[in-house]
Amino acid sequence: MRQIMQQVQNLIMKISKEDIMIKVISYCLLSLMVFIPQGWAEDMVPTASKIIEEVDNVINAPKDQDLMIKLILIDKNGKENVREMNMLQKGSDKRMVKFLSPASYKGIAFLSLPDDVSYLYLPAFKKVRRIASHVKNTKFAGTDFTYEDMESKRFSEKYMPELLRMEKKEIEVEMQDGDNESNKKREIEFYIIKLIPQEGVRSDYSKLIMWVRADNFYPTRIEHYDKGEKLFKIVNRDKIEKCGEYWISRESEMEDLKAKHKTVMIIEDMKFDSNLPDSKFTERYLSR
Amino acid sequence: MKRFSKLVIKYRVVIIIITTLLTLVSGYFLKDLQINADITSYLPKSDPVVKLFDQIGEQYGGTLIALIALETDDIFNKETIEKINHLTQEYKKVEDVSYVTSITNVLDIKTDEEGTLQISRLIDEYDLPSTHEDLQELKDYILSKDMYRGRLVSEDAKATLIICCLQEGTDKMKTAGQMKEIIRNADVKEKVSYGGIPFQMMDISEIIQDDLKLLLPLVLLMIFISLLFAFRSLRGVLLPILSVVICTIWTLGLMSILKIPITAISNIIPVILIAIGSAYSIHVISKFNEDVVTEEDRVKQSEKALSEISIPVLLAAVTTMVGFVAFAFGSYLTMIREFGIFSGLGVFFALVISITFVPSVLSLLPVKRRISSSNEDDSKRKNGMARFMDKISEGVLKNEKAIIIGSAIIVLISIFGIPKIQRKVDMLDYFEPGTSIRLAEELLQSKFGGSIPIQILVKGDIQDPVVLKQMKKMEEFLKSQNVHNPQSVADLIEEMSYAMGGGKGIPDSKDKVSNLWFLLEGEDIMSQLVNPDKTEALIQATITTVDTKQVRKLVGAIEDYIGKTNTSEFSFTQTGMPLIYQHLDDSIILSQVQSLIIALILVFICLLILFRSFTGGLIGLAPIGFTLVIIFGFMGLSGIPLDIATVLVGSISIGIGIDYSIHFGTRFRREFKKAKTEREALEKTLETTGEAILINVITVMMGFLVLIFANLIPLRRFCILIAITMVGSGVGAVTLMPAIILLTKAGFVGSFKKFINKAKNHMKRS
Repeated sequence: MRQIMQQVQNLIMKISKEDIMIKVISYCLLSLMVFIPQGWAEDMVPTASKIIEEVDNVINAPKDQDLMIKLILIDKNGKENVREMNMLQKGSDKRMVKFLSPASYKGIAFLSLPDDVSYLYLPAFKKVRRIASHVKNTKFAGTDFTYEDMESKRFSEKYMPELLRMEKKEIEVEMQDGDNESNKKREIEFYIIKLIPQEGVRSDYSKLIMWVRADNFYPTRIEHYDKGEKLFKIVNRDKIEKCGEYWISRESEMEDLKAKHKTVMIIEDMKFDSNLPDSKFTERYLSR
Repeated sequence: MKRFSKLVIKYRVVIIIITTLLTLVSGYFLKDLQINADITSYLPKSDPVVKLFDQIGEQYGGTLIALIALETDDIFNKETIEKINHLTQEYKKVEDVSYVTSITNVLDIKTDEEGTLQISRLIDEYDLPSTHEDLQELKDYILSKDMYRGRLVSEDAKATLIICCLQEGTDKMKTAGQMKEIIRNADVKEKVSYGGIPFQMMDISEIIQDDLKLLLPLVLLMIFISLLFAFRSLRGVLLPILSVVICTIWTLGLMSILKIPITAISNIIPVILIAIGSAYSIHVISKFNEDVVTEEDRVKQSEKALSEISIPVLLAAVTTMVGFVAFAFGSYLTMIREFGIFSGLGVFFALVISITFVPSVLSLLPVKRRISSSNEDDSKRKNGMARFMDKISEGVLKNEKAIIIGSAIIVLISIFGIPKIQRKVDMLDYFEPGTSIRLAEELLQSKFGGSIPIQILVKGDIQDPVVLKQMKKMEEFLKSQNVHNPQSVADLIEEMSYAMGGGKGIPDSKDKVSNLWFLLEGEDIMSQLVNPDKTEALIQATITTVDTKQVRKLVGAIEDYIGKTNTSEFSFTQTGMPLIYQHLDDSIILSQVQSLIIALILVFICLLILFRSFTGGLIGLAPIGFTLVIIFGFMGLSGIPLDIATVLVGSISIGIGIDYSIHFGTRFRREFKKAKTEREALEKTLETTGEAILINVITVMMGFLVLIFANLIPLRRFCILIAITMVGSGVGAVTLMPAIILLTKAGFVGSFKKFINKAKNHMKRS
């Protein structure tokens, strides 16, 4: 059953490039698959593409987000450096980042708009400058996240997925309303997926290995392999909570194995779907 | 000694078995022997200069750089740029390479026509320029910027560099090897040159291995030939060779077990052991040949022969060991100390083998039969030799004053040469001109400002504009001192400020600096230039030469400048290879002086004990003192510099040369007591010991002269000097020493009064 589904899907994907009609149909089919109730396919393992599609949906679910983020930079000697920022995001391609601390960075702001248009504001210079954003492998603000890691592109658009295996792992699950204390540790099934950059996609990575929770399709761990096929960065997402309708990781960590440097990202406060106005994503708003 | 020789002969079989076992075990460990050509490891790790250098290496991703230069008509063509990009990517993957910088990945800060700020790689790796216009535009841009011109691309655009920083505390030679491998696999059409210390180390290590492989058999061959002439028997040839091979295996095996690597100095050890160590067993064999004559009394005669010969052999070995041990105490340089200790041990092993293993084997062998014909030859040869020796003694007796005056003149000329001695610690100097590594360095010197790293450590608030401005000033000063390509975070801040529209120069407020800093944070280059706390920064630069004089001048000038600019707010400290080299240079002089003094004192003590006379000790030192002055004079006049290998010559000369004084002195004393005239005593001494000395001089000299074929230049110079030592101290012992004794009528040989003065005067007149 699964194989047939996959073949059909592959076939559809192939044809879809040529025919808009079929494309529409395939989308319908795909979305149908996405919304197949879980009970319906109890013993059916979803395809890799479907899993990634789900992951993208889960991550990009909110229409807009307003996050207060604390970044803790930890160097190889264990020394910590803290910076705080406010991040506004609308859809997947409009984003405003403003630094609140440390004092020397206060007021520095970034604005990313569709089509790789980015602006920068440096308060000490009181100047807004457009910046070229084609350097994907530059680290963002001294963190271990590169601009590539920060971009909100959908995994399914960048990578070719392959389901490697499934694994059961006991993890700590954040309590939700109605859960009782004993529920804190649970054994959860994971999909382990290999992602290889699609042809023509610029990436610093040769592949990613992603652990996806089978129960909510939230990716909890992503291993990044460099072009020498060596593991060099690991993202771990913890404290995965359901906030309203959306799943979010309150604490994630990026570790750079080569530089022996770590960045912990803590979401201290969040608001979703608060209808952020477009005026907050303008050059003028940068300097405010 | 009698008890000792009885024991040896009694347990001869056990000795042979133990020796064989020890040799097998040491031989097994030989496979683990490491080679170390790292110049920074010459100085002890506790040295403050080395400590700072290592610390900086640890903090900033390595102080040693390996450079790969690609040359072609014009590097701005599609294929070359692609190749540079490919190699840059490949080098990044090399385990111990911390940073790679090339035109395809270097950080570039600029504003384009539309005023868009670009903080990016100089060349976008996903969008390499391919059209003629793109390439031309890139070329114009790169050559217009100081940051790249003469640093990453030569002014004529014919050469470009890929700069790799090597992580601290790793196997640099292994990394250099991997880097070469990558080039081999990449099918590079451009001309490739390898520069920088890691590649130099690799080449040195290869040369050391080649030298050992080539020279050891050659030395053995030379000894083989000399022995064949001297003994005309298989045992006389094979036993000494076997014994030196055994003691070499023991010594190197022990080094391997103790994890002490072979260095550019200690690779001489095997050759030295072969040349020196063979002499001991030769003495033992010839004594056995002389004394063990009947098959029935073989054991008894063996015991007697051994007990008589072991004393002079022991003395000769001890004085030689003294010369080597002087290094262990007198030298600050780790590798010279190791050399001293292990050469001393090697000599000790040679001694042990020659008075245990060799006699054990000899006593088991049937008594040597003398063939009558060879006997005749022998006596003929001896007659010839004896006549020659008689002539020498006559000459000495007639011209004692002339000899002393002649020696004094030679000494005076030499003293004139001593101040001219140059010092060289440059690793490049190890290679012959025209070798690929020399050519690579010449390219780097002429087109890229050299490969030798120099760093200035800055302490203070690095984000403070005052500090940044001082750093810029320091860079300007360095440029005025022929230091090339200084680079620091101040340059990046300046560029960034300009690109942000803040005008040229360092911005005047700290806020502005920290805003700009934000954009640079996380860039690879930042961790090479600033510490995470922003309390320390580095100014990195290169120099083209490590010529001792120029380095001294530069280090001094920087030191002066630092003294004038340092305040309580911030401070500069210099480090890098020039300082290491200067420190090496200082240590070499100090090593030389200290080990010479120690060796002279120790040897003098030996002579005092032996001759039981102060004047006797002084006269015994005369030939070697004479030789030392000649050696250093020769170095000054012929331009052989004092380097890490030639610094050894002085003490080794003392160790080897003193043997002749001892042999001559003891024999002369014995003959003096028996003889009726000085002449008779001298003739007898020269016919026996004198002849042995000259043969020994020739044999050992042959051994050392083989080193002339060494590829490592310091080794070659070393051997020339040792050859001079052999001749100087040998000839000095048979001419100068008796001349002085006769002239001063020194009492340590006996009383001159017992001879009729008339006879002497008469002889003199005739």
